[in-house]
Amino acid sequence: MSDTVLVVGAGPTGLSAAAGVASIGKKVILVEKEAVLGGAPILSGYAKLVPSGEWAKDAIGRMVKRVEDNANVTIHKSTKVVKVEGEAGNFTVTLSNGQSANVGSIILGTGFTHFDSINKPEWGFGTYEDVLTTTQMEQMVSSGKIACPSDGRVPERVAILLCVGSRDRQIGREWCSKICCTVSTNLAMEIKEISPQTDVFIYYMDIRTFGLYEDKFYWKSQEEYKTKFVKARIAEVTKSADNRLLVKGEDTLVKRPIVIPMDIVVHAIGMDPSEENPELAKVFGIGLEKHGFVEKGEQYTSSFSSTRRGIYVGGAALGPEDIDTSISHGLAMAMRAVGDMNALVQKAA
Amino acid sequence: MAIHEKTLIDADRLITSDKLVVDGVDVSGHWNTMILPRTLKDYDDDFETKIKTYSGAENVHRCWQCGSCTNSCTMYAQNTDFNPRYWIYLVRLGLKDEILKDKDIIWQCVSCNKCTNICPKDVRPEGVMKALAHWIEEEGYGSKSNSSIFDEEFTRQCLERGRIEDSEVMSNFFKNSKQDMMQMALHGWLGIFVARMNKWTELRQGNVFRFLSRTPIMHSLHMGLSMFIKPKTKSWGRTGDVLKQYVKEQKELAHG
Repeated sequence: MSDTVLVVGAGPTGLSAAAGVASIGKKVILVEKEAVLGGAPILSGYAKLVPSGEWAKDAIGRMVKRVEDNANVTIHKSTKVVKVEGEAGNFTVTLSNGQSANVGSIILGTGFTHFDSINKPEWGFGTYEDVLTTTQMEQMVSSGKIACPSDGRVPERVAILLCVGSRDRQIGREWCSKICCTVSTNLAMEIKEISPQTDVFIYYMDIRTFGLYEDKFYWKSQEEYKTKFVKARIAEVTKSADNRLLVKGEDTLVKRPIVIPMDIVVHAIGMDPSEENPELAKVFGIGLEKHGFVEKGEQYTSSFSSTRRGIYVGGAALGPEDIDTSISHGLAMAMRAVGDMNALVQKAA
Repeated sequence: MAIHEKTLIDADRLITSDKLVVDGVDVSGHWNTMILPRTLKDYDDDFETKIKTYSGAENVHRCWQCGSCTNSCTMYAQNTDFNPRYWIYLVRLGLKDEILKDKDIIWQCVSCNKCTNICPKDVRPEGVMKALAHWIEEEGYGSKSNSSIFDEEFTRQCLERGRIEDSEVMSNFFKNSKQDMMQMALHGWLGIFVARMNKWTELRQGNVFRFLSRTPIMHSLHMGLSMFIKPKTKSWGRTGDVLKQYVKEQKELAHG
């Protein structure tokens, strides 16, 4: 029997879980497939995080350092888990770097994959240089200068299209990605802050800035940063004769078709199941739910369990999730993992 | 006539030409009617800022289109074209042409303030309605009523001379309100009008000269004369200018 915990994925969920387990005095093996720790906020170069307003590299950077500095945590970068044998309390895991280890429980913080806008070709991504994704726009905000990628001019208007890769049966995405509304209103404020002459328009079906994000992001962007909200699902993005982008759609409140010139169009891309999920399901012997996210076990008395005993799952691996909640999931899974191992030890004694 | 369901199309989008050549093909006659597209091509980014300068409309940008204002509106219950929620949306995007389609009903707001009391975002829609009515008036989009035209001429003369020439007031009023005096005379209305100005009793009492002095002959002579001689009230001086300034200041105080 082992009381070491394997944590897979070093994003907000995994970093939080690793720190949690280590803080109770247990050993952690942290496996990350990328060469750097931090997960999506670091890999995709997020700007200021919602809702703290802290820069991602600072906030997530602290989480990374906390884990790196902890003697209880062994980190394997650019490494995947390739084989899992045994059962709860006594798993033998083999890593892609050839090493293997005996662990008592496994925590999956394997996250999500950003929706690839190429799958909605009618919205111009990949066709026009000035059509970007929220992650690309965040990178532009991080660089401190708002400009059209095509010719470097300061945009008069930026359109943010919500629900790109979310709530769309046509492409098999029948879920709400939960955080894009808040991220987009935050982005609108960041754009206005850097470039006051730029007007930001958000094209929406609904605004779902849940909980306390309502006034801190939605209301604030509207009332203090003059973001305009247009109720329209855009049908197509094309280019005008004078090289501006044209967003075509129906303004559902005016009940008229619209063809409005814009300078930059931003896709508020949703959260897909991690593209590695089919492989993860095979390696870890766990189930996936109908959308392709990791399937949950019983929630009320066995929170964050997967469909296999001794393997826990949380964060965006379960479905679209925000960073703060993912961090809580990480801590909750640390509690589950250590608690269940203790119970096994007591039972054996 | 190739289009049958014309009632479904806004009148201002139906274009009919007597002679029409499209791509070198003469389509006059049967195919002479074209429909302009309904597509909205642009927003007016400055319009919301402009409307916000009117007192009462300062919070228009807060609107999130919940529809509480329209739902609670006294006027909407009478006429479903009276839709404050919709007009606020149009203000935000600067869709002026759409607002002007409703210019003849926006002023009907009765200021019951139910919308302002119910609005979850404190937009104060009643103030926006007032602002829009003022904007429509100031930009000259609204049609002037005959009484406004009469008031304007009356006021003009008052301020200029400290008195009015009633025949000049009337003739300018008819001219400015595009009422044809000849037509009115031919239809007898002017006759009654003149007759009412005269005193038939004078004739009945045998005061022929007094009656004649008030006939249209003397009156038109008087009218003709007053085209040239327009006396001012004694010591009028700059009084008119001072009054004009005062009225302007009061208006600004009231409308912001």
